Amino acid sequence: MNRELLDKLQDAAANGEVEKAAAATKEALAAGMDPIDIFENYLVPVMDQVGEKFGRLEIFLPDLMMAADVAKAVKEVIEPSIKDRATIGEGRSCVVLGTVMGDVHDIGKNMVSLLLEVNGFKVIDLGTNVPVFDFIKAAEKEQAQIIAMSSLLTTSMPYMAELIKALEETGKRKNWKVVVGGGPVSPEWAKSIGADGYGKDAREAVEVCRRLSVE
Amino acid sequence: MRSHTRLLTVLDRAENGPMLEEREFDQLVANTVRELTLKYGIKYNRQEAINLSDDLADRLFEAGMELATRVGVYCTSTHRRLIFSEAEIREALRFAPGELEIGSGLDRVIIKNRVPEDPRIPANTGGPYGTPLTEDLYTYIMQSYVQEPIIDAVVNGTFATIYGRPPKTHTPWEVLLAWREVELSKAAAQRAGRPGISLGCVENAVTEIGELSGTSYGGFTPVDWHHVCFTSELKTSYALLIKVAHLIQTGCIIHDFCNPIYGGYAGGAEGVAMVAVAGVILMAVVNMSTTHSICPTHPFFESDTAPEIVWAISASQQALNRNTHLLTTVMTSPVSGPGTESLLYEAATIATAATVSGTARIDGVRSGAGVCQDHVSGLEARFNAEISHAVAGMPREQANELIKEWQQHYVPLLDKKPVGQSFTEVYDLKTLRPKDHWQKIYDEVKERLFKQGVQFK
Repeated sequence: MNRELLDKLQDAAANGEVEKAAAATKEALAAGMDPIDIFENYLVPVMDQVGEKFGRLEIFLPDLMMAADVAKAVKEVIEPSIKDRATIGEGRSCVVLGTVMGDVHDIGKNMVSLLLEVNGFKVIDLGTNVPVFDFIKAAEKEQAQIIAMSSLLTTSMPYMAELIKALEETGKRKNWKVVVGGGPVSPEWAKSIGADGYGKDAREAVEVCRRLSVE
Repeated sequence: MRSHTRLLTVLDRAENGPMLEEREFDQLVANTVRELTLKYGIKYNRQEAINLSDDLADRLFEAGMELATRVGVYCTSTHRRLIFSEAEIREALRFAPGELEIGSGLDRVIIKNRVPEDPRIPANTGGPYGTPLTEDLYTYIMQSYVQEPIIDAVVNGTFATIYGRPPKTHTPWEVLLAWREVELSKAAAQRAGRPGISLGCVENAVTEIGELSGTSYGGFTPVDWHHVCFTSELKTSYALLIKVAHLIQTGCIIHDFCNPIYGGYAGGAEGVAMVAVAGVILMAVVNMSTTHSICPTHPFFESDTAPEIVWAISASQQALNRNTHLLTTVMTSPVSGPGTESLLYEAATIATAATVSGTARIDGVRSGAGVCQDHVSGLEARFNAEISHAVAGMPREQANELIKEWQQHYVPLLDKKPVGQSFTEVYDLKTLRPKDHWQKIYDEVKERLFKQGVQFK
């Protein structure tokens, strides 16, 4: 275990020191460390800690944003060193995420987005007020594995059902796992519309995406 | 109304203000809040349930004012910031109404601004606050609030279905939702013998479509109270500004609200309090609203009763009510639902924290955090209002000790979300009175609070 690298990445994640994290990663690579080792045994545990702290609200969304930037910087440094890129973050998929049509609430969705990022997922965040077919187009373009929809409004929740219905009617339902969440969304509602997963909050959303990405 | 003269300025600034990506604005808010928390020495004391320091309240107001002037409001439609100078903001606050009459005929009520520990009782509203309701129960549930004489105005629920169909926003269904709300909320007011009571509306207007339609001929009136929010944090949009423009042109009373998210871009309790102050100030400027509500929200419980948030509510309300004459309101938004003791302790906590902090009107109760269909009833709104009548004039120190005791009854339950029972389980639909078990819980909790020194009127 390279204790110095671990400490540097932990400090960088806590303080949003993107350049420090990138420099430490470059040093480790130059010293002959395996990039996959750096990712799996250093970056991932550091980011897991960040996620756990956020889950206990010991840190807040701005801290999560900084940690996500650090994770991105480390990945950018190590990726060119890996011939088989598929091994990076294996089992943690690409998630197309957004708040559904008619709803402009974004903080809960942003929490999910950042927590997924710090946990190694590639996240395509479509923002708020996203039409049904924009989710599908983005998922196709990005070759995503998961479509995740958020709604804080009962009057927007029907668009979640509409997306699943559209996937079924166009023969694309098997292409993506669909996850739903948000204030008024319940496990019963998720089941009734045929969603593959439900997350009651950001922490649970990450767990569900983890589970679905290895199924 | 003198506070309604800025519409063209607001629209100009939404079109011509400095451009910024939304994520950069979020970061700007987060960084500025952190900086100002240190600069003004704002510190949450976990040992106290509510803020007890006038000095901190005043520093918080100045911090909120600086946040408002430096950050402004972000328009998500134009990706521009609406910036106002401190002189412009202070002039807007100077001409903002400190008194408001809502409703009509015998059901008119007057809301007046208050200060911390003010002995005058605040106004009170009651209603499901957007909680989804079964269509067939809508009028019964609304009537359970209107029939309570202590309630000065009501606010509507939303519909779980519309003529049996899914209630989809941003479609023609939103027009029908708005008109169903007009029809059934007015029917409830009529049945309860209060045809002129002011109705908080249009709750089913998620976009501008419902507001434009529902506030037109035969619909909601200028003396109802029409809701326009900021989205978190400190954001507006053309959909919201269309509502503002329509309501100003039709001479309607505008009620605003902003709900800073604990753990979000505002950060912790101190930041939530500061964003609440800045939000109210900026809503008064941009939305040209007359009453100003906050309901800071916990990201996991979706309520405003967690201890950190209760403190933030008290601090921000004291900051605003000591330094402006704005008509502030606070909404009680518990995790618990009808038929539970914890709901009443959560309501007592927020109603007391707000009342002794000088809030002009106490709103609520949005039981079950407003997301559990039909899990609301008039009895908890009556209780919320009775508490605010009882504690008006109470010293903050006494309120602080009471709230600390009450929090022991519900804080351990927050993550369990005891949503209780639905309306038909706690009310008799024939008599429209609480069923015995719900009445008994209410009576017992009230008796306990009375023994603790809450002087119910």
